[in-house]
Amino acid sequence: MGKGRYLLKRLIYIIFVFFIISILMFAIYKSMPGDPVEIMLGDSKTTMKPDAYQALYDKTRESLGLDEPLPVQYLSWMGNMLTGEFGYSTQYKQEVINIIGAPMANTVILNILTMFVVFIIAVPLGILTAVRKNGVFDKTVQVLTIVGYSIPTFIIALLAIFLLAVKIPIFPISGVRSAGSTATGLAAALDMLRHMVLPVLVMSVSGIGGITRYVRAAMIDVLRMDYIKTARAKGLREKTVIYIHAFRNALIPVVTITTWWIIGLFGGSIVIESVFLWPGLGKMLIDGLMQRDFAVVLTMQMFYVVLSLAGNVIMDIAYTLVDPRVRLEN
Amino acid sequence: MKKRKLLSLLLTAVLAVSMVACGNQETVTNNAQDSGNTQTEGTTNTEGTTEESTRPTEPTGQLVIGTITQMGNDFYDASFSNNATNYKTYDLIHGYSTVVADMEGALLYDPTVVASHETTENEDGTKTYTVTINDGLTWSDGTPITAKDYVFQLLLESSPEMNGVDGYPSQAGYSLVGYQDFFDGKTENFAGVHLVDDMTYSVTVRAEELPFHYDIYYATAAPRPMHVIAPDCDVVDSPEGASITGDFTTELLLKTINDPSTGYRYNPTVTCGPYLFESFDVASAQCTLTVNPTYAGDYRGVKPAIEKLVIKTVKSDTMINELKSGSVDLLFQCSGADTINAGLDLVDAGEAQKNTFFRNGYGKIQFDCSQFPTDSANVRQAIAYCLDRNEFARQYSGGYAAVVHSYYGLAQWEYQESKDWIDQNLNTYEKNLDEAKALLEADGWTLNADGTPYSGTGTRYKDVNGELKPLVIEWANTDGNPVSDLLSTMLPEAMTEVGMELKATTMDFPTLQSAITHSSDKIYNMYNLAVGFSTVSSPWYYYSTDPQWMQGGYNSNWIVDQELADATAAMKPIAYEDTEAWLSAWQTFIDLWNEKLPDIPLYSDEYYDFYSNKLHGWQSTSVWEWSRAVLDAWVDA
Repeated sequence: MGKGRYLLKRLIYIIFVFFIISILMFAIYKSMPGDPVEIMLGDSKTTMKPDAYQALYDKTRESLGLDEPLPVQYLSWMGNMLTGEFGYSTQYKQEVINIIGAPMANTVILNILTMFVVFIIAVPLGILTAVRKNGVFDKTVQVLTIVGYSIPTFIIALLAIFLLAVKIPIFPISGVRSAGSTATGLAAALDMLRHMVLPVLVMSVSGIGGITRYVRAAMIDVLRMDYIKTARAKGLREKTVIYIHAFRNALIPVVTITTWWIIGLFGGSIVIESVFLWPGLGKMLIDGLMQRDFAVVLTMQMFYVVLSLAGNVIMDIAYTLVDPRVRLEN
Repeated sequence: MKKRKLLSLLLTAVLAVSMVACGNQETVTNNAQDSGNTQTEGTTNTEGTTEESTRPTEPTGQLVIGTITQMGNDFYDASFSNNATNYKTYDLIHGYSTVVADMEGALLYDPTVVASHETTENEDGTKTYTVTINDGLTWSDGTPITAKDYVFQLLLESSPEMNGVDGYPSQAGYSLVGYQDFFDGKTENFAGVHLVDDMTYSVTVRAEELPFHYDIYYATAAPRPMHVIAPDCDVVDSPEGASITGDFTTELLLKTINDPSTGYRYNPTVTCGPYLFESFDVASAQCTLTVNPTYAGDYRGVKPAIEKLVIKTVKSDTMINELKSGSVDLLFQCSGADTINAGLDLVDAGEAQKNTFFRNGYGKIQFDCSQFPTDSANVRQAIAYCLDRNEFARQYSGGYAAVVHSYYGLAQWEYQESKDWIDQNLNTYEKNLDEAKALLEADGWTLNADGTPYSGTGTRYKDVNGELKPLVIEWANTDGNPVSDLLSTMLPEAMTEVGMELKATTMDFPTLQSAITHSSDKIYNMYNLAVGFSTVSSPWYYYSTDPQWMQGGYNSNWIVDQELADATAAMKPIAYEDTEAWLSAWQTFIDLWNEKLPDIPLYSDEYYDFYSNKLHGWQSTSVWEWSRAVLDAWVDA
């Protein structure tokens, strides 16, 4: 009952916050200087006669509903969005739903692979460094993770391109697929995988740095606990002590970070997408902002708002799963 | 101590790797070569020997073209997508326009398409162009191309039904008799368009659109596959004009043109250009075209010799590396010293070839001439005298740019014909602060802030209707723009010395655009922008004193100068064939522009095409761009 009431209250809270944020977002974007209709019509202004252009401008403005007062525009936008109509992109001259799929897929695929690489390396590394605290291995990993964590992504990206695509040309410099490739099925997947190596490598470097240190700190705290000493005193194998008793108790901070990573699966990186020409949501968001393509920008922003709010609830539920001491109550 | 050593070692290693990576960046140097002409190396170096390649008789091979503008999934015309690469791809897919521009940019009836043409001047001042197309032209699916397909394009792209497809402008027949009634849906017949017979159409131009220097352009039409876009419709003629019969509705066009997967806009399967649309990979923003075996050739009869074209996005920072690695074969219109020097190193090493030409346009300081104090020509000229434009162009481009002195592009035939005249007659505005001061004095900027005579230091003031106004120039620029950065370095000091104050505001482009069009609250005195000249350059719109051309974005200087307007208006009615009269009027305009100085031209880039050794016969210019040049080129099998 406690859990149910808690979740209901959180749901009401999410809906309330969602609407407040939507009003704020809408107001902020609408107050930005720059005319989306003028940007949408682009060169037409200087290829059409002025009277014809003005007629087209007025008609376009009307068709986009931009001639209505702002509260009416907000209600119309929100009403449409809640029914799955995300609006019309003034930049692409298409429905937002038709243009957002491919970049979203690119971003998610890249982020899933990165997450997989990061967690498969960082979690064991964090545990190992915690167990071998202050040893040579720990110190070496500490330095490397600080370096990986501190160097800006674009520098790592340029270094990776220079070393692994220019000097030793084993990976492509940029792109999603080989130019002119007619491969299908497994061959196409492998080709794409080959193009993903450098961006995943670069994204993983800072991720591994951060999460290794996070897991290490959590594990060190847990390894100091009395129940670990008890487990060892009982004569349990060291592996059992570390992976069953210690790591499970160190999972709460890991769950926090994992949840944000999962939410972040849908967040594009403008740096990575620009350097490796990987058309994703990051570039789409920036382009949308620069082109005053509010339908695209607002759709993406509200999607992130929903993800973040839902992420908080998922995180709370996950805490209860990994740690029975945690209860969801009012 | 050991730990510190280990840390130092690791950091040193990281630093060393960084330096190796940075070592790839080229030093900016001046271009030592003569950059006045287009230069092409059309031969392949094979192990130190030079070997001529022969153009194959059948299309063969693949060319991967790198573009820094990411393509979108839209292949109708520029009305739907402003993306330059998309438009060039459209150009490759579509063909058989009746009027085309040749390699020098001159307009002509395409002899491959047009069997005959006739012009009739009517008593009511209108003009009728009758065009008969050649027999034997076909769509890629084998369907014969007839005059109906041309008339269909004029009707379709002027119709209210097409206007309902994502706000398509429907302006194709704007200058023709009866356009407005047809566009407004008042009549189903377009009075100015006639289907004369199966292979002949005619268009009649409104009297108020004449005389017009480029009037040959009114005769142009390009075929659209009626059997694909409006399968159950037909084009018929009547004394009231041509019309489309059948179920021709916006709903039909939304299906045949706008359907995201099968619509002609996204998947143009039946076309008639030199290449056919094969696919567009949305995930990688990569387009693949294959040669059209039914293509009859361009205006010279030239057909493509490359079987497959792939157009992919590249990044300017790494595109030369992509060329070196073989992931692209052609990089067109490269600019900037870093890229050019890296490309030239590749050429020197025998790993690539090059082709160079000047941009047909320039980067500029654009003045708002309706705004005080840049409404004064003296102030605009004084700013020009504060800037060493040659040094600016050298620093900006690393030596790969030229300086122009008026409203012309270096690829325009008028410029080519007037080089000596320009040298003799135009003011080059060499940096001269004394001249700037004299101009300001003559303009009345002779006071201090307290109204006493100007002391020689600080900002000048002028008495304007009893009010003392300072000589402050408000400059709007965009973030991360190297031209803005360089101007910020080179201009303020000199301007301060002559008694001007430069106030810079940085903003994003849409905000800047609002200021230029006077849509925002604040209007600035100057902006740094760029201009490019098309083959149909119409300065009479850009310097018209009629407010509609200012509000309409043509006269973006907002300059009201009757002399300039008259000089350009005199050019408009000159017959296209009368090159002598045109050149004379052009020189008068250029001379006047140079004096009025609504813009300060800063630099005209020298563009480089870098391409793989497997590509041959590459000859492109800023007029004959890559999408045309690719027809003459071929690749090694």
